Amino acid sequence: MVELAQKSSEARNARFGRVVSRYGIVLAFLILFVILSFAHQNFLSTGNITNVLRQVSINGILAVGMTFVILTGGIDLSIGSVLAFAGIVAGALVTGADPSNPFLAVAAAIGVGALFGAVNGLLVARFKVTAFVATLGMLSMARGATLLISDGRPVPNLSADFRWLGQGFVAGIPVPVICFALVFVIAWVVLRFTIYGRWIYAVGGNVRSARTSGIPTRMVTFSAYLIMGALAGFAGAILTARTTSALPQAGLGYELDAIAAVVIGGTSLVGGVGSVVFTLVGVLIIGVIGNGLDLLGVSSYYQQIVKGAIIVAAVLIDRSRNAQS
Amino acid sequence: MQKALEGRQVLDLSDAGFSVEQTVLLAATDISKSFNGVPALLDGRIQLHAGSVHALCGGNGAGKSTFLNILMGLLRADGGTMVRDGQVVSYASAAEALADGIAIITQELSPVLDMTVAENIYLGREPRRGWFTDSAKMVADARALFDRLKFKIDATAVMRDLTVAQMQLVEIAKAISRESQVLIMDEPTSAIGEKESETLFEAIRSLQAQGVGIIYVSHRLTDIFSIADSYTVFRDGRFVESGAIADIDRQRLIGLIVGRDLRDQEPRAEREATEAVIEARNFSNGGVFTDISLSVAKGEILGLYGLMGAGRSEFANALYGNGPKQSGDVLLRGTQLIIKHPSDALRAGIAMVTEDRKGNGLVLPASVRDNIVMGALKRFSSFGFMKAGEENRAVDAQIERFRVRTASRDLAVQNLSGGNQQKVVFARCIETNPQVLICDEPTRGIDEGAKREIYAFLSDFAARGNAVLMISSEIPEILANADRIIVFRSGRIAGELTAAEATQEALVHLAS
Amino acid sequence: MAMTINRRLMLGTLAGVSALAMGLGAANAQDKLRIAAIVQSLDTEFNVLWANAAEAHPLVADGTIELTVLDGRMDPFNQSNQFDTAINEGYDAIIFIPVDINAGNDPVARAMEAGVPVIGSNTLISDTDLYHAFISSDDVLAGEMLARSVIEKINGEGNVVIVEGMIGQSAQVQRLEGIQKVLAEYPNINVLETRTANWSRAEALTLVENWLISNGGDIQGVIAENDEMAIGSLEAVKAYGLDPATVPVAGVDGITDALLAVQRGEMMSTLQDANALAQGAIDLAAAAVQGDAYTPVAAVWDVNGGALVWGGGTEKQYSVPWVPVTADNVEELLALRDGA
Repeated sequence: MVELAQKSSEARNARFGRVVSRYGIVLAFLILFVILSFAHQNFLSTGNITNVLRQVSINGILAVGMTFVILTGGIDLSIGSVLAFAGIVAGALVTGADPSNPFLAVAAAIGVGALFGAVNGLLVARFKVTAFVATLGMLSMARGATLLISDGRPVPNLSADFRWLGQGFVAGIPVPVICFALVFVIAWVVLRFTIYGRWIYAVGGNVRSARTSGIPTRMVTFSAYLIMGALAGFAGAILTARTTSALPQAGLGYELDAIAAVVIGGTSLVGGVGSVVFTLVGVLIIGVIGNGLDLLGVSSYYQQIVKGAIIVAAVLIDRSRNAQS
Repeated sequence: MQKALEGRQVLDLSDAGFSVEQTVLLAATDISKSFNGVPALLDGRIQLHAGSVHALCGGNGAGKSTFLNILMGLLRADGGTMVRDGQVVSYASAAEALADGIAIITQELSPVLDMTVAENIYLGREPRRGWFTDSAKMVADARALFDRLKFKIDATAVMRDLTVAQMQLVEIAKAISRESQVLIMDEPTSAIGEKESETLFEAIRSLQAQGVGIIYVSHRLTDIFSIADSYTVFRDGRFVESGAIADIDRQRLIGLIVGRDLRDQEPRAEREATEAVIEARNFSNGGVFTDISLSVAKGEILGLYGLMGAGRSEFANALYGNGPKQSGDVLLRGTQLIIKHPSDALRAGIAMVTEDRKGNGLVLPASVRDNIVMGALKRFSSFGFMKAGEENRAVDAQIERFRVRTASRDLAVQNLSGGNQQKVVFARCIETNPQVLICDEPTRGIDEGAKREIYAFLSDFAARGNAVLMISSEIPEILANADRIIVFRSGRIAGELTAAEATQEALVHLAS
Repeated sequence: MAMTINRRLMLGTLAGVSALAMGLGAANAQDKLRIAAIVQSLDTEFNVLWANAAEAHPLVADGTIELTVLDGRMDPFNQSNQFDTAINEGYDAIIFIPVDINAGNDPVARAMEAGVPVIGSNTLISDTDLYHAFISSDDVLAGEMLARSVIEKINGEGNVVIVEGMIGQSAQVQRLEGIQKVLAEYPNINVLETRTANWSRAEALTLVENWLISNGGDIQGVIAENDEMAIGSLEAVKAYGLDPATVPVAGVDGITDALLAVQRGEMMSTLQDANALAQGAIDLAAAAVQGDAYTPVAAVWDVNGGALVWGGGTEKQYSVPWVPVTADNVEELLALRDGA
């Protein structure tokens, strides 16, 4: 009897341990949130919450795309440059005296981003170039192409209709936040409830098994980069609308923040394990830290240190989780 | 080595009738270990004598791995005593166990493939001259070692060019070069063929003669009876019995392992020849397999036998669209198929259980559910969206049918035992409603009980008018289960035998 | 947008040194005056304006002088390597816009030692004695003008924030010096926050948004060390619901976006005369090689009707005056920009 009771309490402890490590990052986020609420009286204000959400929406959209790529066991380093290129394209369409329809500009940005993504996807899926190398090359090429088409100068004078995409509100919610929410919900549904979602996880979990099970593995890998590119293009359009000009130097280093968000969310860099929901938590953690430390007047140098430490801690939590199972 | 054995205290821990004058190298009693409150090992025992090959037997989940990990210092025991050389010991790390003369040769070898044999043996403790590695001495030492052990391996060869069996010999030599007196071998023959196994056994006999004690873990009873001199059986985490191999027969050993009396399988009953379900014509691929034509009839289990490298797996993969071929036609019930990708095969009703369960059978981090439906996603969806209810019902039915032991359908398959993982692979294939099932080494590395269940399933599947192509390197398995056996040798069909005329000798004769 | 890229060597991360060597080698055969311009980064608008102005120098345009613009990619080490290449390839003179105020000293010394005169332009190295000559706008003065424009608009009283450039660059160091000089005169100005946004519009946007939240919107003015950051700050101010007419935002450089914002009456800017700095530097480089025989052609010089005294091209230091951008001159400046 005694032995039995002891056993069940041990099992309960073990289960508790698993829950803590699984949701540790959510817990960390909540703790961070509570601490900042006490540390600064304006942190919880509607204005600031709106503010944080708007600030994270660009990285959020990128991180959602990055989740797809990383789930397949890949990586995309080129997104910052692709974002800048797409931004210039969108900007060029809506500048001057006779601006195009803003939705056309957004569509063009998404299309151009998808084109870059398709090249990455072909290199990785068809020609078996390591994702790191292929997208590193694209990082440089897309940036060069951006500077070339823009002549290194911003495209100013964007139409007000277009700027609404970055600066406007619908029912009190900033438009970028709505865009991010849409992207997030669609990605969540796709990964969780569709055949395609299963394919992504299977290809990342074990590409050879996925093939044996009749899954078109090349197509799946290709599509992940295509989605990433399209989302980078979308993010580029929003960022351009937000900064009021299309900037050729936009998006420098954005790939690292997107990867950081995915990793903090516990998605395995090996592929096959992870969730876009936890990526959202990762995005929010990075955003809230930046915002909170700004509010408290802490030097940006510390922000970088804190962000780095959280990435490493997230991977450590992830590893202890794997060791348990 | 001989010197090291001198002056050793002889301990009387014998409880299984061993003669006491033999030197006890390692004795363990009452070893227990729990994980998260779930006991994995309740009473682990072994007594290993110098110059003995001691078979450690048990089904998956019997606690063997846990026990070995404790012996090796990879896990700490919750309770029990370990005595090495008369001293009570408890290792905190594998390094401590290694320093105390205990080495393990595991299923998953991890040599540095691009280094030479000699470099691998002396990795991390290279002989030095000043600041530099003394390569000449290293090679000379390695050669002397191989001579002493009578291993025929070139010390300067690059590891990558060696066969799996040769790599194992290198691992063994490495252990011996560290003055190990206790060698644990975990499924050493699971990845190598019949002929190579013999090389390995010769090496083991040579070690035996030099006074090394070997704990030999294998699911292959044939191996155990040809190499071991004593045995210990674990079941459900407990010690069951220990004794000399000379005093036990195959039948009783299986009985001890599975816990109930099981007759050794009888060959399948004679059956009428009927029309072919699947036919392969003129399959060739650049010398790997050449001009292979065969057919499997309705209700038939066709066995493919051959040594490692004979081309049987490569042929089967090419048939399934999972590997290259230069020529070859496939006919399913007389209709020609074009198979370029496994999805083509699956659509036509051909499913395959691949050889390497972890490598290309399962998506290990994914759940039992995701793995089972992975080949048949379209059936459980509409407009690209999964229908969770139907899917879960089908998965639960498969779990029950194959008696997959899992806490939940949402558990990642990497947490299941080998036998249960293999059942998941079968369930995935069956979920695609195949008429033809190709299985490559369907029972490799799984326990006796699960093997029986898989045999029963295959027999039943064939009886329903389907066709089975079974590849196996375990002769008793193929003799017991196939209606007809085709033997491969060097990429060609060397001969064909019916169940009635097939014998162990005949198969080995054709294959080599 | 359609600008001649052909003469500008854009060094991609991967294309690297080999492309550079080929480009320079090809030009080696001719006997023209060959000048290398090592700029900070062609990702930044000011450097691009500078390079365009340099290409438009009459003697460069007609081929008398061969100009090669090397992109420093915001990396002092990269610039140092470009110096070595230019010295080895036998360029007659080098014009230099350093990334880092201190790291630039050593390469300049190396070139001068090798007999290649170095003309400083725009931002400067800390040891200006090393230059053969330099032409710049006084960044301390720019800082003063910048701070004064904001402070005077709020009548010398209230809370301001300072958005800094990349720490360690001469523009950041000297503009801050100027800002602090002015702040010392106004005891009723309270500096709430000082932080770098690395010259970046997007970073400044986030930073000022967060500052507005943390200070409950109680900010009366934004002093940004360049226009990119001023534009980002302006967007933050507008997004928070404040009126840029009452919360002044000011920057320096006179980039196109800033001119447009001035035109809308939303911010203040001071134009750095890229034409004068670039073309003046080319004249100084040519004079350094050819001596008295050379006649300057840039419009900025007094001999050509400009404001800057040429003095035979033998002075060490030339200071190009700043042009405050006002509602009156902005149309004209924008018109010039479109033509570039």
